[in-house]
Amino acid sequence: MVAHVLSLKLRLLANGFKRSVGQLIGVIIGGLYALGMITMLTLAMWFTAGDIPFQSEIFTLIGSAVVLGWAIIPPLLTGVDLTLEPSRFVHFGIPEKTLGPALVLAGFISIPAVLTIAGLLGASLMWRFDAGALMLALLAAVATAVMAILLCQYLVIMATALRAKRRFRELTFVLLFVVLIALGPIVTSALAAAQSMSDWIQPIASVLGYTPLGAFAAIPGAFASAHYGQMAIHLALGLLYLGGLYLLLARATAKATVTPPPEQRAATAKGLGFFKLMPATPTGAVAARALTYWFKDPRYAIGVLIVPMLPLLFWFTGNQTGSYVMMFLLGPLIGILMGFSISADISYDNTAFALHALTGISGRADRAGRVLSCFLIAIVPVLAAAILPGLISGALWRIPGDLGLSLAGLLIALGVASVSSARYTYSVPLPGDNPMKTPPGNGMRIALTQLGIMLAMGLLLIPVLIPYIIGWVKQSQSFGFITLGAGLAVGIGLMLGGIALGGKWYEKRTPELMQSVILNK
Amino acid sequence: MNQIALDIRGLAKQFGAKIAVNNVSLQVPAGSFYGLVGPNGAGKTTMLSMATGLLRPDSGQALVNGVDIWADPQAAKATLGVLADGVRQFDRLTGRQLVTYSGLLRGMERAEVAQRTEDLLRVMDLLDDGDKLVVDYSAGMTKKISLATAMIHSPKLLVLDEPFEAVDPVSAANIRDILNNYVEFGGTVIVSSHVMDLVQRMCTHVAVISDGMLKAQGTVDEVRGGMSLEDRFVDLVGGRANNEGLSWLRTS
Repeated sequence: MVAHVLSLKLRLLANGFKRSVGQLIGVIIGGLYALGMITMLTLAMWFTAGDIPFQSEIFTLIGSAVVLGWAIIPPLLTGVDLTLEPSRFVHFGIPEKTLGPALVLAGFISIPAVLTIAGLLGASLMWRFDAGALMLALLAAVATAVMAILLCQYLVIMATALRAKRRFRELTFVLLFVVLIALGPIVTSALAAAQSMSDWIQPIASVLGYTPLGAFAAIPGAFASAHYGQMAIHLALGLLYLGGLYLLLARATAKATVTPPPEQRAATAKGLGFFKLMPATPTGAVAARALTYWFKDPRYAIGVLIVPMLPLLFWFTGNQTGSYVMMFLLGPLIGILMGFSISADISYDNTAFALHALTGISGRADRAGRVLSCFLIAIVPVLAAAILPGLISGALWRIPGDLGLSLAGLLIALGVASVSSARYTYSVPLPGDNPMKTPPGNGMRIALTQLGIMLAMGLLLIPVLIPYIIGWVKQSQSFGFITLGAGLAVGIGLMLGGIALGGKWYEKRTPELMQSVILNK
Repeated sequence: MNQIALDIRGLAKQFGAKIAVNNVSLQVPAGSFYGLVGPNGAGKTTMLSMATGLLRPDSGQALVNGVDIWADPQAAKATLGVLADGVRQFDRLTGRQLVTYSGLLRGMERAEVAQRTEDLLRVMDLLDDGDKLVVDYSAGMTKKISLATAMIHSPKLLVLDEPFEAVDPVSAANIRDILNNYVEFGGTVIVSSHVMDLVQRMCTHVAVISDGMLKAQGTVDEVRGGMSLEDRFVDLVGGRANNEGLSWLRTS
């Protein structure tokens, strides 16, 4: 049974790659990059072994960081490859005692898991001059990876259960904010208090050694310094945590396999909603539909998750470096990010796109409607991000320039997205699916596409950037107004151009778009 | 008025090595109630997708009320209503919003859309559920609301892929009444179905398609030639398994 589930998982992974070449390329590039990093780390450990100060502390910190990363990033941000979601096994009467462990083991068959194990094994080489410690370090590396993956699986199942509840999305935001807000002061005060590395690395590492994060990773250090009693404590704690976690996870998995997917509460909406507010034209109708989705479909919110976090991130950076200059880039960045968020719009429609294809709506109206809805959502945050930093810092002269660059960023991004989304569709979570679900390799592909887009945006923004930078350097308000004028002219021009060109491509490619959303790739 | 509502001329489509639709030509006379029957995987949905502009054919033409849908898609689609099989709807909208959306996308006036939306919800027996999200609808309700989105612009030709699947008998009877009424007043309907009985009773014309090829077309009486449509269909398509069945599928 266990072998069957494992081979199913392997088969699904392989078939996933067969479906889409782009995805495979993404996986390969991402994998090569990660392998390169791991090789570098391993080589570094090999050559510096023995010379590293605080060797045992550093090993504990590496282990803890890995576990913490697995605990935070997949459940909250990127999502995981949930092809073997426990609830899929509801219909098979497989005994819970077999299925639980099988699914837990299947969690290890993923590229990130393999890379994590490899990386931790590489890091253990720092102990190569002490055979006993090296053996222990290698074992500790595997145990730490197991801990990381189990913790991640457990938290994902918990998050999936929470997803059934309405407030999950808000909860995610709140959690992230709490983490971020707590992180800033902690790091700042820790760094400020530490006169040298030894002042903070030892207490932190010794505390971590008693938590699930670093219990295993602390073992080789304790052995090397001949603190055998302490080593036994770390080992006992580690095994205790691991055993407890395994029990919790096996029980949660088993429970999820017999709990049918949660019944969605029947939601209602009175009347026509946005359809009443928007003009009764095809463009207005598309905009009203897209606006409804911005509010009702969590996939849209997840896409711009980073936007409310950016000001906080920049503020903390400023808090630590003492220079808040990054805050002035918020407007353009948020503009570009939000404007480009509609680039996966047709992929999100999935086969519901058939309605657009069947009604024969003009490409221009389709493009313009989606742009209009995104513009209405984005304009307030973009204006706020463009005006507030100048206002708060008292540099009123720079507001026109900031406004010009931010609006140009938003408008140009909308234009670029209108063109690119008529040509490229992506593999995205299906409507109603877990919005956190990501097909393997997708993250890398999206990152590459966005890099390309950012480059294109940079080029298109040049006519606005020139007066903006001159204005910034000279602190000149008149150059700010030139930026505003140029930004509006170039932005509106490129947005309309993007809608026209995207509309043309859309009409030419409607059936092809339809077929690619059927395949979701 | 054009005498042929849907004129399919040599449509063909190949997916890799599999020929899904092999050079099919058929004429659907205006004012007919046309049944399209065939076993699973015969190419019905592929052919209808090509005839309605969802899938580009390898070769061939499809003329909707005289307009080639691949040469002038917007004009052809204006007189065409389609219920596609196996596609989602924008299901985060309420039923009322979805039907309204379909009308507005076609450039209709707001007042007219509002009036027809209420009429359609009423005949589909969905008035009480009009404010519910479509994602919460049952399979049959989703079929009915999709049918409403296909009819709001009063098309001359309705192409319905499996319209009765998952629809309860009462709703099915209501839908049949609506369609009969529509044909009486000059509309043309094409339905694909597996239910031969239904096709025999409901349709004036029928085409049998199997393995991507047209096996027969004409009026129902011509095609069945004295037999029941079901027997004739099995004759044409073949492949009735010899009755050994599953010997292990016994409860005792």
